[in-house]
Amino acid sequence: MKTAINCAALIVVLAGSLAPAAAQDQVQVTEPVPREEVQSEISTREIAIQSNFTGIEILIYGSVDFSQAGTPDTGKYDVIVVIRSPAEPLVMRRKERVAGIWVNGPGRVYPSVPGFYAVSSTRPFRAIASDETLKKLGIGFTNLDFGRPAAGSPDEETFRTALIRLKVKQQLFQEHDDAVSFVGRSLFKTTVALPVKVPIGRYTSDIYLFRDGKIITVNQSTLEVTKVGFEGLVYRFAFAYPFLYGVFAVVIAVLAGLTGWYVFRRE
Amino acid sequence: MFQVYLPIAEISVNLVVMLGLGAAVGFLSGMFGVGGGFLLTPFLIVSGIPASIAVATGANQIVATSASGALAQWRRGTVDLRMGAVLIAGGVAGALGGVLLLKFLREAGQAGLIVSLTYVGLLGVVGALMLNESVRAIRRARKGKPAPARRSGQHSWIHRLPLKLRFTRSHLYISAVPALLIGAITGLLTAFLGVGGGFLMVPAMIYLLRMPTNVVIGTSLFQIVFVTALVTVLHATLSQTLDVVLAFILAAGGVIGGQYGVRAGQKLKGEQLRALLALMVLAVAIRLAFGLVLPPSELFSIAPVGEGA
Repeated sequence: MKTAINCAALIVVLAGSLAPAAAQDQVQVTEPVPREEVQSEISTREIAIQSNFTGIEILIYGSVDFSQAGTPDTGKYDVIVVIRSPAEPLVMRRKERVAGIWVNGPGRVYPSVPGFYAVSSTRPFRAIASDETLKKLGIGFTNLDFGRPAAGSPDEETFRTALIRLKVKQQLFQEHDDAVSFVGRSLFKTTVALPVKVPIGRYTSDIYLFRDGKIITVNQSTLEVTKVGFEGLVYRFAFAYPFLYGVFAVVIAVLAGLTGWYVFRRE
Repeated sequence: MFQVYLPIAEISVNLVVMLGLGAAVGFLSGMFGVGGGFLLTPFLIVSGIPASIAVATGANQIVATSASGALAQWRRGTVDLRMGAVLIAGGVAGALGGVLLLKFLREAGQAGLIVSLTYVGLLGVVGALMLNESVRAIRRARKGKPAPARRSGQHSWIHRLPLKLRFTRSHLYISAVPALLIGAITGLLTAFLGVGGGFLMVPAMIYLLRMPTNVVIGTSLFQIVFVTALVTVLHATLSQTLDVVLAFILAAGGVIGGQYGVRAGQKLKGEQLRALLALMVLAVAIRLAFGLVLPPSELFSIAPVGEGA
């Protein structure tokens, strides 16, 4: 990249020396071409799960500062947006037939699986960067590290594939090619749908800017998914004071029973 | 429409469907005079609620349905307090065992399987016995023969057991051991299956302890209120599997359905009611058995570590 800038500078210098009258050009050349930077924002930084929660669509938009693209459709830049929730350990089981009954087999533990993971890109991300780069950045399901040493056995592969398939089915893993679009020389946007089963926690949104298959810059921001209102209260209550929560549930049940008895009693 | 997010089960369910489920089970339990847990918990499992949450929430639901019944019996003076206390003591031990067993199975990923299997076995046997008995009773009623008289209390092995106590209201002087055992088994079932256990306790009290029928229902309801309440608290404390939002929806439906069930039940004859209930119990057992035997559409399952299907 640096050499590219140097070459451009050299060409300008040469042009300048051929036309000495253009002194202003030389002044510009001494300053290096500003490096592109990404600024981004998310439509909702705090996602509140309450009783009517059935999923939410968030809008992620940003701009490429110092864009060198001429028109929106030049395809000079590629953007990959990766949203992920904190990784957590998962156990994966396969049902096996034992004496005519389908029984869960022994579990396999995956120490760190993102609860939610979504990749959106301007075009198929495999066409944007090399497999090596994608692997290093953890872009794409197959490049995710679940913390389980890949033994390379076909069985291990089957489990891993099934894990991804199940996550995709629940919309907790998403890959969207051509989902990021440029609306100007520097402005881009994408939407990501978070399903109802979305885990709570602090999510990260990584925006990778690529030019000619090389990563130029990364912009990271966070969003918070929390349970709020009555549901959040119940959830926190249940985990922070489990005994009181249980007693509370019993009291509610007794009251409900007695209310029914009182309302419907025949006098 | 009317989707409600359950904070502990972490799924979204339809409010109308769950209210309807609570009302239907309440209706049936009011009609047949049973707690309804053995119908509710399997229904919840079949509708996609994880088994361990279905069990804990089912137990909480029975607190609601049995509380009003127990109060009514109490006011009628048909509760043998001392017998109730012995049954509760047994129930506490059984409940602890059951909660720990379910927690262990859940962590091993086998809770769904073992709970379903136990249900299939228990409901299959109870349903078949009830159907057999009620069909005979219906035939007898058609022929116009009277029901055979109960054999009078004989001195059996039960009377040779130690730890004898006097149960004034039941007019009994027997060992506390069988009552403790009955209480313990019921408590285990409550914790493990989310049922009240009346369907087991009532016959055991009548045929094993030979308690007078008029105090049996009141005393069993008395035990059920306390043991289901304890099981609810234990599940909430030890495994955080109680979903109070789901429990409340079910209770609201159940309380209303229960009242109409009682009225509907009064229009049917006892043996017809028992035959109907037996058919329903068998249907639930068969539905659960199919789930275990039919090839599943998805072989794989994922769960957070420490939890299972």
